[in-house]
Amino acid sequence: MRRATVQEIIVDGAAAKGFSINIVKRIAAIGARYAGLIVFAALMGFPFVWVLAVGMSKDPSGIWVFPRAFLPHDPSVYWFKRVIGVMPFFTYLRNSVAMSGMTVAATLMLAIPAGFAFAQLEFVGRKWLFGLLIATLMVPSEVGIVPNFLTCAHLGLLDTYAGAVLPNIASAFGVFLMKQHFEQLPSEVLDAARVDGAGEWRLLWHIAIPMSLPAVATLTIFTLVTAWNDYLWPAVVMNTRLKLPISVGVFNDLTGPFATSTSLIMAALVLAIVPVMVCFAATQRFFLRGVADSRA
Amino acid sequence: MAKPGVGRHTGYLFIAPFLIPFAVFSLWPLLYNMWLSLHDYFVTEHVAVWNGFANYVTLAESDSFPYALRNSLLFLLVVPVIQVVALGLALLVQRPLVGIGLFRAIYYVPVVIAISVAGVVWRHVFEYDGMFSWLLITLHIIPEGVDWIGLDKLSLYAAMLFSTWKNVGYYMVLYLAGLQTVPKALLDAAELDGAGAWMRFRHVTLPALQPIVLLCTLLTTIGALKAFQEILVLTHRTQNTVTMLMWMYSVAFGGGNGFGLAAAVAVLVMVLCFAIAAVQFRVFGARGIWGKGT
Repeated sequence: MRRATVQEIIVDGAAAKGFSINIVKRIAAIGARYAGLIVFAALMGFPFVWVLAVGMSKDPSGIWVFPRAFLPHDPSVYWFKRVIGVMPFFTYLRNSVAMSGMTVAATLMLAIPAGFAFAQLEFVGRKWLFGLLIATLMVPSEVGIVPNFLTCAHLGLLDTYAGAVLPNIASAFGVFLMKQHFEQLPSEVLDAARVDGAGEWRLLWHIAIPMSLPAVATLTIFTLVTAWNDYLWPAVVMNTRLKLPISVGVFNDLTGPFATSTSLIMAALVLAIVPVMVCFAATQRFFLRGVADSRA
Repeated sequence: MAKPGVGRHTGYLFIAPFLIPFAVFSLWPLLYNMWLSLHDYFVTEHVAVWNGFANYVTLAESDSFPYALRNSLLFLLVVPVIQVVALGLALLVQRPLVGIGLFRAIYYVPVVIAISVAGVVWRHVFEYDGMFSWLLITLHIIPEGVDWIGLDKLSLYAAMLFSTWKNVGYYMVLYLAGLQTVPKALLDAAELDGAGAWMRFRHVTLPALQPIVLLCTLLTTIGALKAFQEILVLTHRTQNTVTMLMWMYSVAFGGGNGFGLAAAVAVLVMVLCFAIAAVQFRVFGARGIWGKGT
């Protein structure tokens, strides 16, 4: 190695000085970012911390004494056992699973072919129909509860799972999402298969869907969460208590017969939140990547 | 441009299975509301009788509906708040940092919790000796606990705070996706030219985000106009908290033959949503305020 000249050493020294100032600045900036992140995380997350702490506290005397209440008092599963004893929680859970399972399956079966047709096939009225789909997305679905209630009444679907599920699978959102994705498929591949004599249905099953699994996964998970959390429509259309999903059944019980015991309420809330959190933890990358970007 | 070997009617076969439930449960309600809003509907007899514009007249003369309209318009206050907080959060979690994934997930959690379940949580957070009062007392903002839900004048704002908390994570993700599209070269060039962080944000990031701002503003505006479940699960539904759709729900399912009146409200909300969508496309769209440059 050759020896450094005096000039080079001076330049290096100046650079090193600038470097150390930069490091201090960058550490300060990172510290500020973490501070901001933690403050917001506390604001967003503390309600859940408290719910969990109260649900786990056998002794309810300290649950309103902050900040002590953020940690459980005399931790036990006492209140969770009470909830399962007095509330048909597992029936609600089973209903939630059944209803959201049906919604997801039906949405996939309907939205995927429709999205493919809007993206890849030519037919008279395609643009016009798609415009109609988009228009319904601009209007909140709550606007439709009265007509949908009457429709279900006429069809004899009140208080049935079919009545609770049907309006949810009629949403244009899934078709929109799948169309956006199927438009990006390379047309050379599709056209080559067409020239080779493959029908559109085979094209969809053997080329389009295998090339779009992340988009299908995104649609599945978004539909699942929306269906699982749907409160208003099942509350309107169902009235047998043992047919209710968690979102309605737990809410009705906690604001009705069990409203007096805060500990019981919090334990029930924990039970209602845990399945969602487990599912979210496993699939969060699909949410955090966003609907807009279902490619990767 | 025809596709090789594709039948002319194949497209219809692909969309038909979707189109049937869509027509019955998404499209029909919009048309049926318009028809129903001009009728009196008698539930037990299943008959509708034409009544001209009586339902709309009833709305205009109602003592309580103007409050519902006012409350719904007040709820629009969450639109700018959500934009600022969501964009702020997106900027905060944009660049990689140890544990950043965990923070993103925490901010998103309220979105995946059922609104009814979250509503019960926040009923307790808003108690006079609850967490929210404690926080503000600790920060010396208020001297003693406040019953945020029980106090009629405050509960609408409590519902807005709840709505912001519930939804901001969703918009954070949309803004995060938008931030990926900001050209890095432009940001670097601006920095070389001596632009500070704020100038870079104002003149590079924000104009590049324009389509996302449009999308998010549109979605939050519709979200605010349809504010209803927040009110239903959180508040006591008094005159000062009932929003348009909450009012609609009450007249439809609260006894009495209110379906026609409810449909009139639904039509009003629908028209409002379309109008706002049109205005926002004009203001924020490519020909709008940011498109021309400054």
